[in-house]
Amino acid sequence: MPDYQLLYKYLRNIASSEPIDENTEKFVLQKDHLLEVAKVISRFEGVYLRTMTASDERNVNGFYKLYYVFGIDSLHKNIVLEVPIPEKDASAPSIADYVRAADWYELEAHDLMGIQFSRELPQNFVLPEDWPKDVYPLRKDYSIEDLVKLYRPRIEAQAREIGAEAALLIPIGPYHPALHEPEHFELYVVGEKIVDVKYRGFMVHRGIEKLAESMKYDQVPFLAERICGICGYVHSTSYCQAVENALKLQVPERAEYIRSIILEIERIHSHLLWLGVAFHLIGYDTGFMHMWRIRENVMILAELLTGSRKTYGINIVGGVRRDIDEEKIKKCLAVLDNLEKEFKNLIDIALAVPQVKSRLRGTGYLPPSEAAQLSLVGPTVRGSGLPRDVRRDYPYAAYKYVGVEPVTRSEGDNMARAEVRVGEVFQSIELLRQLLDKIPRGSIALESWEPEANKHGIGSVEAPRGEVIHYIITGRLSPYRWRVRAPTYQNLPAVPIMLRNGDLADAPLTIASIDPCFSCTDRALVIDLKSGKSRSIPLVLLAQKGFGALR
Amino acid sequence: MIDMVKFVKVIPIASKVGTVTIRYPYDKPLVTESFRGAIEIDPAKCVGCGACTRICPPKALTLVQEGNTLILRYFVGRCIFCGMCADVCPEKAITITKEFELATDQIHDLYTDVEHELVECERCGTKFVAKKLLDKVKSIVEVLPEDRAKLCPNCRRLETLSRAATPR
Repeated sequence: MPDYQLLYKYLRNIASSEPIDENTEKFVLQKDHLLEVAKVISRFEGVYLRTMTASDERNVNGFYKLYYVFGIDSLHKNIVLEVPIPEKDASAPSIADYVRAADWYELEAHDLMGIQFSRELPQNFVLPEDWPKDVYPLRKDYSIEDLVKLYRPRIEAQAREIGAEAALLIPIGPYHPALHEPEHFELYVVGEKIVDVKYRGFMVHRGIEKLAESMKYDQVPFLAERICGICGYVHSTSYCQAVENALKLQVPERAEYIRSIILEIERIHSHLLWLGVAFHLIGYDTGFMHMWRIRENVMILAELLTGSRKTYGINIVGGVRRDIDEEKIKKCLAVLDNLEKEFKNLIDIALAVPQVKSRLRGTGYLPPSEAAQLSLVGPTVRGSGLPRDVRRDYPYAAYKYVGVEPVTRSEGDNMARAEVRVGEVFQSIELLRQLLDKIPRGSIALESWEPEANKHGIGSVEAPRGEVIHYIITGRLSPYRWRVRAPTYQNLPAVPIMLRNGDLADAPLTIASIDPCFSCTDRALVIDLKSGKSRSIPLVLLAQKGFGALR
Repeated sequence: MIDMVKFVKVIPIASKVGTVTIRYPYDKPLVTESFRGAIEIDPAKCVGCGACTRICPPKALTLVQEGNTLILRYFVGRCIFCGMCADVCPEKAITITKEFELATDQIHDLYTDVEHELVECERCGTKFVAKKLLDKVKSIVEVLPEDRAKLCPNCRRLETLSRAATPR
């Protein structure tokens, strides 16, 4: 057993002591000595921090006080360290490096009493994130009545705003049960009806725009392709087109055809994947299995044409890296014929299932006016009757050689968005037949090209989920600035509109109906803290707190 | 057929299709002829120029110097199987294999090293180039001044400058 008398001797030397009761002795310590004392205490085995409290005694003696209660188990004794903190300089050394249990206590004292500690502390550990700044509720300056006036919980205000006396908050996320991506929706429900929705995202910011600035032009397509796990090829195509447009490079026609062919194959597999997930979400797993079964042939086809099932890796600035020969074209056509037949059969059956129909029809309604105002893209906007399609509106790759007429539905519900995708699978099969038939001979990439600094270029692609647009400012060896905008970024604000006044049980499907890709959306840090709909992101803070607490 | 019971039509489809999963690894191969798997570096052909390390997007290929040896290190754990290294290799030393069964419980199984002997600078002793690369350059560039070939870039610059500055 350590010689605790040494500890007592040391403490009495450095601080004035005063017994509280027979087992408890209090030592009044100058804050300059706190760190050293903590260091000494931490060396004694069997001494542990039992609690710490901060108190506002300015009315009594002009100080804030910190009381650290250490226990010595084997002696059944307490040591209380009293540390006065002057009002003018409400700061104290942090002892968390030596007494690790002090971590949360310090965070609390910081939040509630406004004591600054000598280390980086996250804001609002205990208090809500929208708590008014510089209001420390445990200070005697505030009575309960004052605090009630100063702060009203957001949910209460929101409940009043939407006129619901008994609104209940239901969180979806931070991990979507079916989409396997991090996002967070707060649904306010009265009974089974959703009355309001808030979205929080940007939980998976990956910093890739910054990363690209340190990569060479021909390395970035491989990074871009990894923005999305389902429709990555649209991003590498967008990037390459942006650079090509900026530098006025004319890509060989054959390369343009190959890009369009791969893009359409990607759209087919993506839509089949979505239809499968949608059926799964509404409990029709038979449909899910068959959609994914016929999708598998498309995946194998993609591998045959590019070398990879996904993240095809064949785009470079100035063209593509893999050619398509006659034999591959033949195989491709055979797969498409088979797919068309099977898909037609299966989707007819699936959409006739009464439960599927009633879950899709009339749910997640998005009025055309809202769709237009929010500048939505892809099947989301086309499901509300607006014929917006980059392939037709801003032709790129080989779409200028084949006609693309946007597939639209006017109903604006989940069924409409599903039908748009069904229509687009058939459309893609037809487009592929045209492209494979018309593909001209020639080279598939530029021999060489020279980068030039400070040129601006835009590249856009109609991804399965909607328009993807990349903006490039060129640098000498690497992009100077590369800005990515994925379709979900544009489409997410529509989700709260679709969810409002809907049934809670339809929420997962309605969220999925825009085919969201949260990671794609979160690729860049663009947060407007003031804007109403998407709020600040507390996860960064949460993560800090978590690590701080575990350190 | 009445629409209400149309969904039963899936039953004959399902029974006709049967099981679609493969009895991996006993059945037919899982990958097509175009598949890109792990790469293989031929140590006999590699000259240690490092072109592959400069194009590799995820930096799975790196050049590391350990003592007198220059190592071209391939870490398949980072590899994205794009095959850009094979495209740029001037010696065609890199081939793309169809290997995809790469899981292991030993992390060193994921590394492949190709070792190269380094040449020392005759003046300052810096090891500056793989011997094979120097020999390769010598065999291509006929006018390479023999007396300066074994100087590191810095010493070579100084030597060239001092010769130019010395009045003849």
